Amino acid sequence: METTEVRKRVKDSIAKVLKIDQESISNDANFIFDLGADSLQSVLLVAAFEEEFDIELDENKALNVQTVSDAVDFIQEYLN
Amino acid sequence: MSKSDIHKNNFKSVFYPKSIAIIGANNVEGTVPYDIVKSILISNYKGIIYPVSPKETSILNIKAYKYVIDIELPVDLAIVVFPSSVCNLVLEQLGQKGIKAAIIISAGFKEVGSVGLEREKQIKEIADKYGISFIGPNCLGVINTDPKVNLNASFARKMPSEGNIGFLSQSGALCTAVLDYAQSKNIGFSKFVSFGNKADISEIDLLYYLADDPKTKVILLYLEEISDGKALMDCAKDIISKTGKPILAIKAGRTNEGAAAAASHTGSLAGSDEICNAAFEQAGIIRCNDILEMFDTAIAFAYQPIPKNNRVSIITNAGGPGVLTTDALIKDGLKLAKFSEETTAIFSKVLPKTANIKNPVDVIGDAKADRYNLVVTESLKDDNVDAVFVILTPQSMTEIEIIAQEIVDVSKNNSKPIYTSFMGATDVAAGIRILEKNNIPNYTLPESMSKSFTSVFNFGQNLNRNGAVYNLDKTQNNVEMAKSILSEALEEKKSYLTEDKTNQLLSCYNLPVLESFVASSAEEAVSFAEKIGFPIVLKIVSDDIVHKFDVNGIVLDIQSREEVIQGYSSIIENVMQLAPEAKIKGILVRKMIPKGEEVILGIKRDNSFGPVIMYGLGGVFVEVFRDVSFRVAPLSLHDIKSMILNTKSSKLLFGARGKNLRDVESLYYCLSKLSELAIDLPQIKELDINPLILLDINKGCYIADAKIML
Repeated sequence: METTEVRKRVKDSIAKVLKIDQESISNDANFIFDLGADSLQSVLLVAAFEEEFDIELDENKALNVQTVSDAVDFIQEYLN
Repeated sequence: MSKSDIHKNNFKSVFYPKSIAIIGANNVEGTVPYDIVKSILISNYKGIIYPVSPKETSILNIKAYKYVIDIELPVDLAIVVFPSSVCNLVLEQLGQKGIKAAIIISAGFKEVGSVGLEREKQIKEIADKYGISFIGPNCLGVINTDPKVNLNASFARKMPSEGNIGFLSQSGALCTAVLDYAQSKNIGFSKFVSFGNKADISEIDLLYYLADDPKTKVILLYLEEISDGKALMDCAKDIISKTGKPILAIKAGRTNEGAAAAASHTGSLAGSDEICNAAFEQAGIIRCNDILEMFDTAIAFAYQPIPKNNRVSIITNAGGPGVLTTDALIKDGLKLAKFSEETTAIFSKVLPKTANIKNPVDVIGDAKADRYNLVVTESLKDDNVDAVFVILTPQSMTEIEIIAQEIVDVSKNNSKPIYTSFMGATDVAAGIRILEKNNIPNYTLPESMSKSFTSVFNFGQNLNRNGAVYNLDKTQNNVEMAKSILSEALEEKKSYLTEDKTNQLLSCYNLPVLESFVASSAEEAVSFAEKIGFPIVLKIVSDDIVHKFDVNGIVLDIQSREEVIQGYSSIIENVMQLAPEAKIKGILVRKMIPKGEEVILGIKRDNSFGPVIMYGLGGVFVEVFRDVSFRVAPLSLHDIKSMILNTKSSKLLFGARGKNLRDVESLYYCLSKLSELAIDLPQIKELDINPLILLDINKGCYIADAKIML
């Protein structure tokens, strides 16, 4: 899957979980510092990525992913 | 500029900020970020607050900013409540914004393991880069009750009342319990700080801040871990000597793990808690066992003056409590005041015939407020009285509240301390409230009253003590020779020195070792014995034997050449039988020391406090009786004298039970030399001199046996 496609779908998932406008999410945004995710939402984000891409992520590693670009890279690794 | 100077400059922004940014704030009731904003608002903070939240536009009706750098005006203090994973990003923005002070409430740092430790190092590096000072992380926050600022930058439920007690705590949760307890006792605070992991601002920085704070009279400290014990001691000594402010501390964690594995008597006896006790005493820090004891003592310091002396007048309306108080007072080393003739004449004239007019004064059960007033007033006027203890039991005719108010009024016109014990709970509650609100320390139990007063009295007595290090002529020490003995042993990978090397090293510090020779045959031993002169001692010399008594490797009090030959053979036989693997280097021949008092001296190195010196009752039963005391090197003469007097057996040196007066001056000398040796030679891990034989006055002392562990 192309990086731009992964990025778009990652941002879609983030927008749904955090209830924010997709346009406001920059490529380097930090889930907590820039987008205001709390600890529960961080867990929900991992679940949303798994559902969106139909993959099962290593939860411990996934929770260390903090930014949109990190998430894109991390998911692409799984997809490839 | 040093980091402590940077903190000093930034402390004004921590405690008296004109504006605060709360970074990571939210609108979710019952969460720390929300409660912090609420606490600041409720406390009627006198400055401006800026909530910073990535997704909220306002919090508690105050405009919120997405980033701290978006705030147009300058900000003095940042309170960080974001998760630990993004605190590095926050600190970077604080640096960009020019904010120099922060309180990092967030947890998830070194207390959770290696990932957290890495995060803690990262925020510390960023803070250092920008000259930021921060309290925390992993803390409850900071409270300043000064009406100029009214700051409750914490998630404690309550803002305490204003007072003159400064409280510093490593535990955040304990702070909330302390605040709740203090409120029930009408105890106020000047500053209240939870400092958590102390990654940047340490307890030492905060102690110095409170020392300079004119609103703080007494400093309380709760510690779970002492990272630099020596620095804490130096700081406490400095504060106490310069400001006269008392420091009361609780050090949690009294276990002695590690002591059991020690190779020497000193190592085994010097557990971390004993060393901490000694270090606190030496530094003038009053160590408290629990929170109740800490506040009992704190209110005594906070509310009443330090007494000039320890002569106490007890005034009671019941005989039993008077006796209890007298018992406690005598046990604590205080004195019952002897009233002057004038005072006695007044009491005799105005008190009922059934009253006891001598100390403790029993004004008897039917005493009303006027009788209490008169006796308290006259006691305070008496030059033979340094303090007054007032005891009240609630009897049917006792005017509890009026008596409390009379005590308050009398206290306003005098400079001597008044302590009270209104005994009971419900009936005396209203009277106690009057006392507490007017700074009269009250105690449920007379024993607690006496103990608290004693702490204050002892503190006052020690304020002017001479703390100068007991300097002997250092040039007499052959430090280079001592170092070379140790280097040689370490090169040979030895874990302890042999007796001859031990004696050589101790001689480098002019410690009283006796001349000795190592013989490799019975004939040679005889020749050495005749050179030294009888009586002599024979001892096994082997790198493989530490405890010579255990292998019957010592023969004492040898009087003739025949006994030398016999002793030599028996030692060789015993060692070959009991320690067949040991390589025998020979037999040491030494003069037999005359009888005297056997004491032990030792050195142990503590990770936090450095070299620690031990003194105590010596001999083979040292670990059974455990009559020992400790001090951290270097020792002052006061330290040396007090560590000797701290042992129960010290009386044996001063002629108790018909014993001869021993040469304690030579003991002072040995302890001071040992202190110098401990500082000069960090290669020595543990050292035992056991026993040191202390002879009669002016006859000196001799080292009978010593061990040095590397």
